[in-house]
This record gives sequence, structure tokens and C-alpha cells, in this order.
Amino acid sequence: MRLDLTAKSFGPRPILGPVSLTVGAGQRVALLGPSGVGKTTLLRIIAGLDRDFAGTRAVPDRLAMVFQEPTLLPWRTALTNLTLPTGATRAEAAALMAQVGLAGREAAYPRQLSLGQQRRLSLARAFAARPGILLMDEPFASLDEATRDRMLDLTAQLLDSSGAGLILVTHDPAEAARLSARPLTLSGSPATLG
Amino acid sequence: MTEPQHRRTLRRPGVALGPGLVSAALLIAVWAVAASLTERPQHLPSPVAVFRVLGQLIGSGELWLHVGMTLFRVTAAFVAAMALGGALGLWMGRSRTADRWMNPALVVLLNIPALVVIVLCYIWIGLNETAAILAVALNKIPVVAVMLRESAGALRPDLDDMATAFRMSPLARLRHVVLPQLAPAIAAAARSGIALIWKIVLVVEFLGRSNGVGFKIHLAFSNFDVARLLAWSLAFVAVMLLIDMAVLRPWQARANRWRVDAP
Repeated sequence: MRLDLTAKSFGPRPILGPVSLTVGAGQRVALLGPSGVGKTTLLRIIAGLDRDFAGTRAVPDRLAMVFQEPTLLPWRTALTNLTLPTGATRAEAAALMAQVGLAGREAAYPRQLSLGQQRRLSLARAFAARPGILLMDEPFASLDEATRDRMLDLTAQLLDSSGAGLILVTHDPAEAARLSARPLTLSGSPATLG
Repeated sequence: MTEPQHRRTLRRPGVALGPGLVSAALLIAVWAVAASLTERPQHLPSPVAVFRVLGQLIGSGELWLHVGMTLFRVTAAFVAAMALGGALGLWMGRSRTADRWMNPALVVLLNIPALVVIVLCYIWIGLNETAAILAVALNKIPVVAVMLRESAGALRPDLDDMATAFRMSPLARLRHVVLPQLAPAIAAAARSGIALIWKIVLVVEFLGRSNGVGFKIHLAFSNFDVARLLAWSLAFVAVMLLIDMAVLRPWQARANRWRVDAP
């Protein structure tokens, strides 16, 4: 994945300055920085969710994203939430659900799962897409400590077994360290990578 | 009715059916009393007289031919109005430019009297089936479009982002992300639509067709035969009620399964 960003602004307000970022296969980086600095904006540009920027972007065919909220389809079962967006087979999806501790809940709808289970399902969905690079936008924010620890362990295991690269947006350097991600700090106005 | 009570009622159709049957029986009782009090029975025949005519229509097979024709026109106009009105509403809800360009035409269409649309269709296209169905659909399309536009403008942006991030195909996106969010508006448009459409179909048949319930009502009106007029109306109301109970309600219940807390 290679991004050469010249500038990004919202209306007259510049948000991001020149940013050059390259992430190779299996590499892991963490984008750190204070709230509101532009970390999520940068990740959205990489994910292709924001195309209104100056610069160039080259990404692998298979990208997957874990959002701050689980962002599941409430009207589809847990299993189809994995198969529909990713094209994974039912067997692959069921195996991934078992890996994140959701075996037996395939037929449940998202609102029948706890928030922690929904987040694990969202993590499983990202890996069901067999991503070259996984993008994560503060996926451990607002979780209690035990759930956060479990999610971090699961993410590390799945990253190890899949060999996927990682771009993690977080404000917590400890999370970056737990996932062995190289910390890059976004700072200034407009923000650049330090 | 509280939310859990409402859910229980949805799950046990028999519970919901009870009050409906009682209120229908009360209505017939009021009708029977009014008919017995009137000095001109030809103006308000008794329920027994009307049901007797209904029995004759069923026995002769005449009922099925004309109800079938009306039902065909209702179905064709309904499908056309839901498809075109739905697509238009979705487009206008998702694109501000489309909304700006199409809104004046929509407001004009919404405010043209149904009768004017019907007469113009018959004049411009001729007294044929195409004109009849088009006239009905044109009356309903703007109503569906407005209902769907409001919902399409309030789709969840986070699910849009998810579909984009996972590169879902446009068709999969429409089917699994967009349409389920629009389901309540589609259901509301369908149920109000079917009620409006069959009434307009009767007017269309009354004015320019030689079969269908509207045509038969025209004949009954010409002969001042109120019993026959009520029999035809009742027969079609019964058919539409059956469609609501056998098709629309089960579909709505199925589409709402995911809203239930426990599996």
C-alpha cells in the first residue's frame, strides 16, 4: 500500500499536509496522535472512503476494515454478515466465528449479541475478506479492560495466522505495542507524520 | 399498545383477528338496523339482500371474471407504481441534484386530480388496457416516490462506508444494505398504495372499460340497483382484505424478524 498525499482539507480548513506512507506485505504500523488531528481522515483516504484529496493512492485488491463501531447489517444473521460483504464461504465464515469464540451463534441477529460479541464478529468479518492489509479505526476504544485485552489477543493471533499487514489508528501507544505495530505520530496543523 | 404487547400480537394473528371480526360484525349489525328503519329499501338494502345478490354472482361465475380483471389491473398498476416510484424516490433521496431537478415535476404530479390524469390518458392513448393501467400507475408513482425519498435520504452512512470498504457490488449493496433500510417505507407505501390503487382502478373501469368491478358498478348505478352495487363493492373489499392478510402482513412480519431481541 502506498499513499502520497499532498493535502486534504474540509472546505477552507486544511486538515492534513504532505503525508507519504508505504506499508508492505505483513508490515504493521500504528497511526498515533491526539483526538481530532486527522488520523481517521487519513485512514478513510487509505480505505477509499474519502476520495476528495490531493495526491495518489495505490492499495492492494483485498482491503478490509474494522470500524470504531461494529457496523454490522442488523437484518442479516451473524454468519451472513461474514459471507455477504466478503464473499467468504459459509464454512470459512463458521470457522472464523469459532476462532473469535462465537461458535453456535451463526443464526443470531446482531442485536441478539452483546456489544463485545458484535465487535468480535466485526473482527471476524475483516479477516473473512482475506485482506492484504487490515485497516483498524480505534476498534478497542470504549471497551472495558477485559474485553479490550481479549480483542487485542484475538487480533494479534489472526494477524499472525493470516499474515495480513496492519494500519491501526489509535491514541494509545500500548495498543500499538501489543500488536507489534511500528508507531507513527500524526501532529501539527495541517497534520503530518513525525 | 406497548412495544412487547405489539410484538406478541404480531406473533399470534388470531389475537389480532378477534377485534377485527367483532368490529366487522358490529358494522353489519348497524347496517341491518339502518336498513330496517329506512322507508326506501332500494336506497339501502339489508345485508341479507346484498349477500343474496353476492351469492348469485358467485354461483353464475360472473364475479370471478370481473374481480379477476380488476385484480389484474390493480396488480399491473401496483407493480409499475412501486418499481418506478421506488426507483425515483431512491434516486431523489440519494442525489441532491436529482431531487432539485425532479421535485417540481413531482409536486405537479402530486397535485393533478386523479380524474384529470385518467381522462387525459384515455384521450391521448385511447380507451384501452395500456391507458387504464398507466393512468392508475401515474396517480400512485409520485406518492411512492415521496415516501421512499424521505427514507432514502436518511440511510445509515456507516453501513454505506462498510459496503464501500468491503467493495460490495452495486446489486449486493442495493439488496442487502439499502433495501432492508427502506423496508418500513416500502411496506407503508405498498399498503397505502394498494388501497389507493384499487379505488382509482374502479374509476378507470367506470369511465372507460367494458369489464371489471368498476364497469359493473357503472351498470348498477345506471339501473339504480344499490344491492348489486354494494355486492360488487363488498366482494372486492373482501379480496383486498385477503391480500393484505395473506401477502402484505406476513411479508412485513418476515422482514421484521431481525428486530426481535431473543432468537
